[in-house]
Amino acid sequence: MRKLSKVAALVCAALSMPAVAQTIEGTVATSQGKPIVGAKVELEGLGLQVLTDAKGNFLFEDVKEGKNEIHVSAQGFTHLHEDVDVLSSTPSKITFTLSKSPIEVIDVIASPIHLSSMESAIPVHVLGGEALRRDQAATLGDSLEQLPGVHTSFHAKVASTPIIRGLSGPRVLIAQNGLDVSDVSRVGPDHAVTSEASTAQQIEVLRGPATLFYGSGAIGGVVNVVDQRVPTSNDTKGEWLLETSSVDKQKLGSFNATIGAGDFAFYADGFFRDSDDYNVPVAPELELEDDDHGHEGEGEGEDKKHGKNFKVANSSEKSSGFTVGTSYLLDNGYVGVSVEQYNREYGIPGHSHEDEEGHGDEEGHEHGEEGHSDEEVFADLEQTKIQFLSKLSVRDSIISGFNTRIGYTDYEHAEVENSEVGTNFKNETFEARVEVIHQSFWGFNGGVSFHYKKSDVEAQGSEAFTPPSETEMFAVALMEERHIGDVLLQFGARTERVTLTADRVLLPSLDAHEHDDRHMDEDGHDHEDGHDHEHEDVHGGDASIIRTFYAEHEFTPVSVSLGALWDFTPGYNLGLSISRSQRAPSASELLSFGPHIGTRTYEVGALFALEQHDGIDEIGLTDEIIDLETASNIDLSFRKTQGHIGFIFNVFYNQVDNYYYQIDTGLFADDGHNHGDEEGHEDEHGGELPVFIFQTDDVILNGFEAQIAWQVNDTFNTTVFSDFVRARLKNGGNLPRTPPFRFGTQLSYETETISAHLDITRYQAQERISAFETETDGYTLVDLHADYTLPYFNESMAVYFKGENLSDTEARVHTSFLKDLAPRPGRNFTVGIKGYF
Amino acid sequence: MNAFIQNKKPLSLITLAILGALLSGCSGDAETIIIEREPIVEDDHDDGHDHSGEPGGGGDITIESLGRIAVLSSEASALAIMDIDDGAMLDEFSLSDSSAALYASPDNRYAVISMRSMDTTDFIDGGLWREDHTDHLHDYKQAPQMSDFSVNGSRPTHIGTYDGQMTIFYDGDAEAGVPAGVKVLTDENIAAESDTLPTLEFTMNMHGVAKSRGDILVSTVRREDSESTSNAKILPDQVGIYHWHDGEYQLEQVLATPCPDLHGAAENEDYIAFGCGDSVLVTHQHDDEFESVKIDNIAEIDGLRVGTIYGHENSALFFGIASSRATDERAMVSINPENNTMKIVEWRSEAGADPVAYSFSGDGDTFVILDNLGFVAKYVLHEHNGELEFEFESAIGVSNEDISAMPEGHNFSMTMSQNDEHLYIADPIAQHILQIDLTEMSIEDDIELDIIPSRLVWLGIAKTSDHNSDDHD
Repeated sequence: MRKLSKVAALVCAALSMPAVAQTIEGTVATSQGKPIVGAKVELEGLGLQVLTDAKGNFLFEDVKEGKNEIHVSAQGFTHLHEDVDVLSSTPSKITFTLSKSPIEVIDVIASPIHLSSMESAIPVHVLGGEALRRDQAATLGDSLEQLPGVHTSFHAKVASTPIIRGLSGPRVLIAQNGLDVSDVSRVGPDHAVTSEASTAQQIEVLRGPATLFYGSGAIGGVVNVVDQRVPTSNDTKGEWLLETSSVDKQKLGSFNATIGAGDFAFYADGFFRDSDDYNVPVAPELELEDDDHGHEGEGEGEDKKHGKNFKVANSSEKSSGFTVGTSYLLDNGYVGVSVEQYNREYGIPGHSHEDEEGHGDEEGHEHGEEGHSDEEVFADLEQTKIQFLSKLSVRDSIISGFNTRIGYTDYEHAEVENSEVGTNFKNETFEARVEVIHQSFWGFNGGVSFHYKKSDVEAQGSEAFTPPSETEMFAVALMEERHIGDVLLQFGARTERVTLTADRVLLPSLDAHEHDDRHMDEDGHDHEDGHDHEHEDVHGGDASIIRTFYAEHEFTPVSVSLGALWDFTPGYNLGLSISRSQRAPSASELLSFGPHIGTRTYEVGALFALEQHDGIDEIGLTDEIIDLETASNIDLSFRKTQGHIGFIFNVFYNQVDNYYYQIDTGLFADDGHNHGDEEGHEDEHGGELPVFIFQTDDVILNGFEAQIAWQVNDTFNTTVFSDFVRARLKNGGNLPRTPPFRFGTQLSYETETISAHLDITRYQAQERISAFETETDGYTLVDLHADYTLPYFNESMAVYFKGENLSDTEARVHTSFLKDLAPRPGRNFTVGIKGYF
Repeated sequence: MNAFIQNKKPLSLITLAILGALLSGCSGDAETIIIEREPIVEDDHDDGHDHSGEPGGGGDITIESLGRIAVLSSEASALAIMDIDDGAMLDEFSLSDSSAALYASPDNRYAVISMRSMDTTDFIDGGLWREDHTDHLHDYKQAPQMSDFSVNGSRPTHIGTYDGQMTIFYDGDAEAGVPAGVKVLTDENIAAESDTLPTLEFTMNMHGVAKSRGDILVSTVRREDSESTSNAKILPDQVGIYHWHDGEYQLEQVLATPCPDLHGAAENEDYIAFGCGDSVLVTHQHDDEFESVKIDNIAEIDGLRVGTIYGHENSALFFGIASSRATDERAMVSINPENNTMKIVEWRSEAGADPVAYSFSGDGDTFVILDNLGFVAKYVLHEHNGELEFEFESAIGVSNEDISAMPEGHNFSMTMSQNDEHLYIADPIAQHILQIDLTEMSIEDDIELDIIPSRLVWLGIAKTSDHNSDDHD
């Protein structure tokens, strides 16, 4: 699975040649003196890298005189950074010694500065190799949730996205090979991310200086899904996988393969996944109405006694994707292009009208499957993604190389209801990014990035809660690092110009009103009388006037990040990072005005404001200045990188000024569906959504992540981890959907043929809630994974078994919009077979 | 590893300086432009409820008030806001330029103070306005206050309002090489202090005029001097139709008919009229095209040119002032853009009187002329022999003072209420404002002033959305 670049291959081939002046030659070995095969040795600033041969030897030829910085890495070992002085007369012969690392360290691919979980001022996390295959799920959020500091928005398994240190949505940028995935997942929790984990090589979670090449919106971080769609090697290699799961009858098949012919390399991957509605241990819907009355406990107790088989209705999914790519390998890099077609069809739970009517339902407990089947809503998603990627190193006194990424994506998803398209979301994006990497100057390695992106986003239909808009961005970013003695300095800066234009922003006359019955009823069930409600007059009446606006926003966010990593004593380091990043609010945060069934709210953007005059609520244009969101972050990490015990402790303090978030107005508005024709007034009551409006406030997020790993012996490893984030408003109050305190342990047993992992993760109850939330109970998940490498076919195949949620626990995810409708899946068994070539 | 020299150089000062600058000195920027468009009106779907009492439906919050008057005093370099209801002065603001021109903002909320010589236009919030909250109307009554907002440009000269929009025409400055331009703004822009307004920029300076109608901007266009048919080249001779699209005004059409020495313009619901050296150019939109026709000057105004035109959304006729700079001669004409005729309007006045102000009434049915002797003449739009005309109805004198006592550089001035049939005339000698009932042509009330008024403008909540389209010099 290792890549061997063309450059590396050439240099390796040259190993047998006699050493001449201006070469660097050496060996990579363990502390016991055993050579390490396949270790990656890289000349920093030049982008030249070689792999060590069977004797652990490597050679660089034609190296410039003077100081060269070398970075050595190998799987299972700590990484090493050394300065090497090359003299014109003496050939240099060096031995690099790597220590065992109990925590797996994987480098971030394609970054001008070095980034890994151990070696950067701010922790980055990389999920790759076997760990990625173990954790991969149908959605990106669920795939990454095992990483410290990363939680999932668990959207009934169909559209989960990652939450990094309590931040998600537009604050987390999701990239595929460094280019924006350009879906609409940032604007709605029910919108899936168009990136597939099962064909990916690794998934990187970046924070701090590293994010600044991607986009300044990434206050929370960047998730970059990396694959080899533009191959960097012409070696024949690949992997494939087939599996099936019990909880949702999921069937998954995936493969990726690279082959070469001369200077050309070709790549293909594909996947197919089909799953049914998933089983849950309890009735999926929590009776919300009056928590203190304790209805839900009784109801579920009864149901459970009857041995009902519960499912989350409308949570099935079917997706497939196919990517082909090719590249031309040059002596100094590669140039390549790829095309991907991605399709996904998934149910949107919580969308059925019966659910919305829930509180009007007399019995409250009879939410049978039958009730949903007739009005299921599903999303039919399609995306075409074209990427041009190139990395070229040049021989120049100033510039050492160019990394070029150009992408075009055409995204569309239709939300289909009763076989009719309700809303069509589109996103057409063109993006280009060129990184110019410079030669090492006064010890500085790094580069400058020029970045352009233009997106046309629109949502047409009954739930077109955000008007069509065009966003154009141009950015310049700088990323540098420099070693000064034992200290590594890393810094990044980025400024961009974001223009957001919307030709038709709508401010409809909102039939909003308070729900007296909801707030005042003593008994949550007695709604009958409420139906002849007094807001009839608000519903009917005048011809509605929709005010229309042209809106143009121009933002110039500036972000700066500075970090230092100090290897104060061998095997330990201390990292400090401070950053100030600014984010331009997104179109949906500003311009929305309409029902959004994905969040089951009527969303109103920050361009509008709720005013109260003489007891009458009304929404007009805001008087507030639409400003940037500014995050100031301090991050401290302390790590032990060598020995049998390793650890990473991070604490962070993040103050976000002018944070855009939604608050409950206490009002209700029509959901935009045509109910009237069926049953008249009673339906009106059901088809209502609470009105949430975006506003800004200063918030503080702080917390920590801790990870301690103990390599007991060659086969046993045990890891404990914990993470916590506290997200609160500066003036008091909590932010909604904040991940709860979490801790867990992983016990690993690995031999040549067997690999087994037992994960126990405890999610504590979340009691720090915002005004419109309810508390969520804690739960413990127990997962078991086991791989067995088959002793045939050159040991290139393995069978595996996964058991998830073995205790069949009711697990409601506080960070989910659907926590009261869709708990995590119950006990699930997966069996599969995978192979490599 | 001691074979290799490790870099132990301290962090250089310059690096520290750069990093320091990066971390501290940067602050982003955010700008927003919001322009209200024509609303979409939808009939409500099903319910069959009564549409009671439109437009002031159920939840309206309205304020009964005669309005306020902004009074500019050039002598005091000040602007006072008077409350018509009780005659009290609400606040007084000092101005930096005594020669400022005064207008009301499109929705009559703000006093617009345009200082041509200072290249800036300032705004004072009169404190009385209405917001349409779609399901109901909401009126606000607050203390007047100076707005921080100002709109800048070279030589703001012709300012006009129509249907919620104000167009400021910037003449530019040939000497400084600054071209002419147009900015369009609304009361919402002023309230939001929008930094970026819809703007049209020319390549040359000119003494021009522009009229905005929603997305359409009809503006004068100056050609190269060699092509221009104007005698005074600073006066444009063409009219262009611009359309607001993708954040800019795009020229869609140049009217085929040239209009040499163009000066003055006005608009009503269907037409826009421009005064040319030899005629009045009238244009209107037909399908997507603007059609234009020239109404030649009639023989009675031979030697004169129509250089000032008044119009009103509801008035089918334009009122034009024809004059000659050379002879100081003056005539008044009515211009009918539907049948392309021009007709003399007889002005009834005392000997030696000179008109000092003209205005349509708030509803557009009446036109009044105020003269320097303190007389105001009222004309009503009336059909006579099948032809629409300004018919003289009556005139009254509003001053008992000795006109020779008029302070230097001052004269009578007036403003029309936009919510009822009242005309307000400021008398600099008596230092008061008279409230005239326009229907009865009688003096109803007066408001005492501490300052010598030079201009005044009515502010408040207009009765309907009708707006004057006066074109002031």
